[in-house]
Amino acid sequence: MTHFLNRRHFLSSSLGCLGSLAMASFTQPSRAQENDEYQALVLLFQFGGVDCHDVVIPYGVGEYNEYANIRSELMSAYGSDRARSSLLQLASSGASAGFALPPELSGIKALFDEGTAALVGNVGPLVEPTNRDSFSAGGVALPPRLFSHNDQQSLWQSSSPEGASVGWGGLFSDLLIGQGISTLSDFSALTTARDRLFVTGYETAPYTASAGGLNLDLNDIVNSQADGNLAAVYQMLRAQGESAAHILTRDFAGATVSAFDANIEYSSILGGAPDLGVAFQADPVGTQLERVAKIIASRQEFGVNRQIFLVGAYGYDTHSAQPTSLPNLHSRLDAGVSAFSESMKNMGIFNRVTLATASDFGRTLADNGDGTDHGWGGHQFVVGGAVNGGSLYGDIPPPSFEHGQDAGRGRLIPTIAVDQYAASLGRWLGLDESSLAQALPNLDNFSSNPLANLLL
Amino acid sequence: MQGATVVAAVRILVLLIALGFSNISSAQGAGNTFIDLLRVVKDVRGEFFDDNFGDPETDALPFASEASTSRFLAQATFGATRSDVSALVGTSVSDWLLQQFSEDPSDYLATLDSYQAQLPFLILNPWNRSATTFAFWQHSIAGKDQLRQRMVYALSQILVISNGGGNALTEYPEAVAYHQSLLTEFGFGNYRELLEAITYSPGMGYFLTYMGNQKGDPDTGRQPDENYAREILQLFTMGLVALNDDGTAASGSNDDNGSAELYDNDDITGLAKVFTGLDRSVNAAQGQNDPEAPEVLRSWREPMAVYPARHSASAKTFLGLTIPENTSAEDSITLALDRLMSVASVGPFLSRQLIQRFTTSNPSAGYISRVTQVFNNGRYSLPNGTVVGGGLRGDLKATIAAILLDRENLQPEAPNTFGKLREPVLRFTQWARAFNAGAITPEYTVELYDLSSVSIYGQGLAQHPFRAPSVFNFYRPGYVPPGTDSGAAGMTVPELQILTTETIPAYMNFITFFAMANTQYADLSTYREIGGLTGVNFDPELARTSFLPDYSYEKTLADDLPELFAHLNLLLAGGAMSQAAVDSFSDVVAGVPAEAGEDDWRATRVGLAVALVMTSADYLVAY
Repeated sequence: MTHFLNRRHFLSSSLGCLGSLAMASFTQPSRAQENDEYQALVLLFQFGGVDCHDVVIPYGVGEYNEYANIRSELMSAYGSDRARSSLLQLASSGASAGFALPPELSGIKALFDEGTAALVGNVGPLVEPTNRDSFSAGGVALPPRLFSHNDQQSLWQSSSPEGASVGWGGLFSDLLIGQGISTLSDFSALTTARDRLFVTGYETAPYTASAGGLNLDLNDIVNSQADGNLAAVYQMLRAQGESAAHILTRDFAGATVSAFDANIEYSSILGGAPDLGVAFQADPVGTQLERVAKIIASRQEFGVNRQIFLVGAYGYDTHSAQPTSLPNLHSRLDAGVSAFSESMKNMGIFNRVTLATASDFGRTLADNGDGTDHGWGGHQFVVGGAVNGGSLYGDIPPPSFEHGQDAGRGRLIPTIAVDQYAASLGRWLGLDESSLAQALPNLDNFSSNPLANLLL
Repeated sequence: MQGATVVAAVRILVLLIALGFSNISSAQGAGNTFIDLLRVVKDVRGEFFDDNFGDPETDALPFASEASTSRFLAQATFGATRSDVSALVGTSVSDWLLQQFSEDPSDYLATLDSYQAQLPFLILNPWNRSATTFAFWQHSIAGKDQLRQRMVYALSQILVISNGGGNALTEYPEAVAYHQSLLTEFGFGNYRELLEAITYSPGMGYFLTYMGNQKGDPDTGRQPDENYAREILQLFTMGLVALNDDGTAASGSNDDNGSAELYDNDDITGLAKVFTGLDRSVNAAQGQNDPEAPEVLRSWREPMAVYPARHSASAKTFLGLTIPENTSAEDSITLALDRLMSVASVGPFLSRQLIQRFTTSNPSAGYISRVTQVFNNGRYSLPNGTVVGGGLRGDLKATIAAILLDRENLQPEAPNTFGKLREPVLRFTQWARAFNAGAITPEYTVELYDLSSVSIYGQGLAQHPFRAPSVFNFYRPGYVPPGTDSGAAGMTVPELQILTTETIPAYMNFITFFAMANTQYADLSTYREIGGLTGVNFDPELARTSFLPDYSYEKTLADDLPELFAHLNLLLAGGAMSQAAVDSFSDVVAGVPAEAGEDDWRATRVGLAVALVMTSADYLVAY
C-alpha cells in the first residue's frame, strides 16, 4: 500500500523510537555512538530530468550500434563527442564493462576508477517493485503523476507529490536528532538551490545558504543617523511572530526573526572561513558546491555534527537542442563534483562526506528530433571516500524497446526505488531501521537491498 | 406585492433594459405577470442573478473610506497615489471599473520599437535584452490602464514565458514583447482566444519547445515533442485532477490520492500531435546570415506559420476526442483548444489562481465557486447594474470584476486568514507610484537589471517580471508552507515559497535603497560603461535622477511623526498598521535629530520611515 507521510503518525512513532534506543545503548554499541564524528550528505539534484541514456551509454559494439541507430538524429548532431571512440569505458570487466560515460564526465570517471564514485542504475520513485507487464496491466500501486516535473521533483525529495511539505533529507535530520546522534541547529539542513523541500523536516528548518550572508543596510542608516537602534523593532517583530492576530503576519514575522538570527551567525562564521585551496568554476553549480565546501570547512564553528545539503543544477529539461545544451551541463556538473571531491580530500574529510545525485526522472530512449521527453528511472552517481566505488549497483536495461522495464519509448521503469537509495544514504549517516522506516514509507515494500555494500 | 418582490421586479426590468432583451416575448410567450417574467429570464439566462446586482451598498463599499480606497487600489492597480485616494473616496466602484475597462491599452511593441530605435546594434546589446523588463516597469508604474496591466501581470504568472535564460528569447525581445502585447490585447477579452493567440506565438513556441516540432516518424521512432501538450493541460487550462466548481477535488479513484486524474500519458502523446508543423516564417537556419534582418526580427513578433508537411496527418486522440486523419494544423488546433476549454475543471482551476494574484492566497470554496460561475457564464453585473462581459465562457473582464467585488473580498468573514503577502514586484511599483518617482527610466538604474537573485549589491526581489525561473512561475499555487501556522492550517500561500533567509534581507536592502533616494548617489563610471556596452551616448547623470522619489509632501510632516505615520499607513498599508509598529518606528525615526535651517534631516526621516513601514509585517501582509 502507498503510505504518505503525516505528522501525527511520525511524532507518535518517534517517541517509541527513543524508547527503544535507550535500551539498545546498553546492549551493544550502536552505530550512533561509533559515529559521533561529523558526517555530511550532499544531494545534487539535476532539475528538469537528466537524460539517463546520455549519462550511461552502452559500450559493447552491438549495443552501441543499436543505441546509435535509435538516436540517429541526436547522434549526428552530437558529432564526434558521442562516437564510440570518444566514450569513456567504465571498466574492462564486470557489470560495468558494458557501459561508458560521455567524454564530458572525465572527472567522475577518474573518481570511479580510483574507487570513490559508484554508479547506481535505474533509480526512481516506486511504491512497490514494478515491471512492464505490471505497469501496463495495472496490477501494482504506482507513484502518482508520473512524468510531471513538479510532482516527480516532489516525489524524489519527499515521497509525496506536489503539495508535500517535508522531505527525506529534513526528516533524516529530525531522526538523527531523535536518535541522539545530532542536535537541532539552524544549520542542520541547508540549501544553496532555489528549492528546499528536500531539506525541510518537521523540526529541522532549512537554511538558505547565500553567497556570504547579507548585511542589512537599514542597520547602517540607523546607526549613522539616529540614536535609536533597531533592537526594539526586532523585539516587536519577535512579538508579532508569536501573537499577531493575522496568521500571515505571524508567519512572516516569525520567518524574518529566524532569518535575522541565522544570517548573523552564518556571516560571522563564514567570514572567518579558511581558503579551500581548490579552484571551483564560477558557474551556478561550481559556486554552490564551493559554498557547501566552505560550510563543511567551518563545521567546528557551526557546531553540528550532521549536515544535509541540497544543491540544485538546473536546465536539464532537454526537449530540444539537447546536443548543444546537455554536454555543457555534464561538463559543469563534472567540474563541480571534481573540485568538491578534491577540497574534501584536502580537508581530510572525504570519507565523512557523501555526494549523491538525483533528478526528477530520466528521459525517453527515443528522441523527438533534437531532444528527448520525460522518462522515469535514471542513473545516479554516489561520490565520497566511504563509497565502495568503481562498480555498478543495480541494473541498466538494454538500449531497446519493449524490454521488461520499458514504460514505452524507452522510458525506464526503475529497478531501485528512491526509498532504497535514500535508505542506503541514511544508514551511512547512522539512522537505524526504525528511523528509516519512518522517513521512507514505502521502504518495507522492497525485500532486496541492492545497495547493501554501497557505503562503508 | 411584497416589498422584496417589487425590488426583484424592478431589478428584472433594469436587467432586461440593460440586456436589450427585446425578444423575450417571442422566445417564451411570456405572460404579463412579473412572476412569469422572472421564470422566463431565469430559464434563459441560468444563474444570472448575483448578489451585487443593482446594489448601491456594494457600489459604495470599496471607496467608502480613504483606507478602503487605498486597500482596493492596491488590489486593482500597481499602487495607490495620494491624488487617486482623495479623488475616489465616496465614489462608485462601478464607475471606476468601467473607466478602467475603457482605457487605451499600453503598447508593448511600440515601447520596444522606441527602445530599439536608440540602439546602434541589437544582438548582444544589454538594453535590447532588457527592453521587455524596462517596458513592464514603465507601463505598470505609469500606465493609465492600471487594471488591465494588473491582469497582464497576473496572466504572465499562469501563461508563463521567461526571457532570462540567455537563449533566443533573451536575444530577441520581440518574442516576449509580443507575448506581453497579447496578454494586454486579451486581458479584458476571452481566455479561449488568448490561448489560441499564445499557441501560435513564437515566444511560447520557443519556450515550450514546439517551434519546429515535427510529426512522428515511424521509421526512426521519432515522436512529436510533448512539452507544450503537457503544460497546456497541467498549467494553462485544467491542472492535474478534476475539480468541483468550488475548487475542491472532485471525488474519483484514479490515483492513490483519491482524486480523479484528468488525463494520462496517452492523452499527452495524442495531444502532442496537434502542435506540430508550427514555426516562424523565417526559421533558425535562415536567420544565421543576418540575425538582425528585418524579416528575422519580425518573425519573432507575429504568429508562427503552419508548415503542413511537418504537421501530423494521423488521427489525434486525447481527452475522449479523436481528430480525424489529415486534419489541418489550424483545424486541429481549433478543435483541441475547444476541447480543452470545455472541461469543467478549467473554470475553478483558472479562477482560483486569478483570485490568488489579486486578493487572497487561500480563497474559500464559496469565493471560488462564485467567480467560477462568472467565468463560466462570461458575464457579470456591476453594482450599478451595468453588465460587463461578452457572454462566452472564459470572459476575463467579467471574471476580474467578480474577483474584486466579491463579498469575501469586500467584507471577509475570516479576516485573520484572508489576504496575501504582497508580491515583491508590487511592493516596488507601489512605492514608485505612491511617491511619484520621477523619471521611470529603469535603463538608468542598474539595481533593477536583474531582480531574480541577490545582486552584488546585496539586493533583490526574488521576482523579475517575465523572468520566472521556469514555466512553473516564481511559486506554485498549491504551495503549503512548512513550519508555519498557515501551513499547519493547510492553507496555500504561494508567496511564502520565495521567502527565505536570503530573500528577506535582499528585499529589505532593495526597498531601503530606493526609499532613501540612493539613486542620487549613482556611480557615474558604471553608467559610462553601460553607455559603451550599449553604444548609446547618454548623459550618465541621468542615473542620479532616475526613480528619485518626490517626498515634498512627506517632508512637511517630518516633525509631526504621528501625522507622517498616519499618512504612510494609509497610503501604503491601507490603514492596517498596528499601533505597536507605529510607536516603535516613530522612536527610531525620532532619533534623527532635527536641524534648524537645514533640510537633509527631513529627507532622512522620511526615507527611514518609508523603509521601516515597507519592511514591516503589518505592511507586507495585505488583507
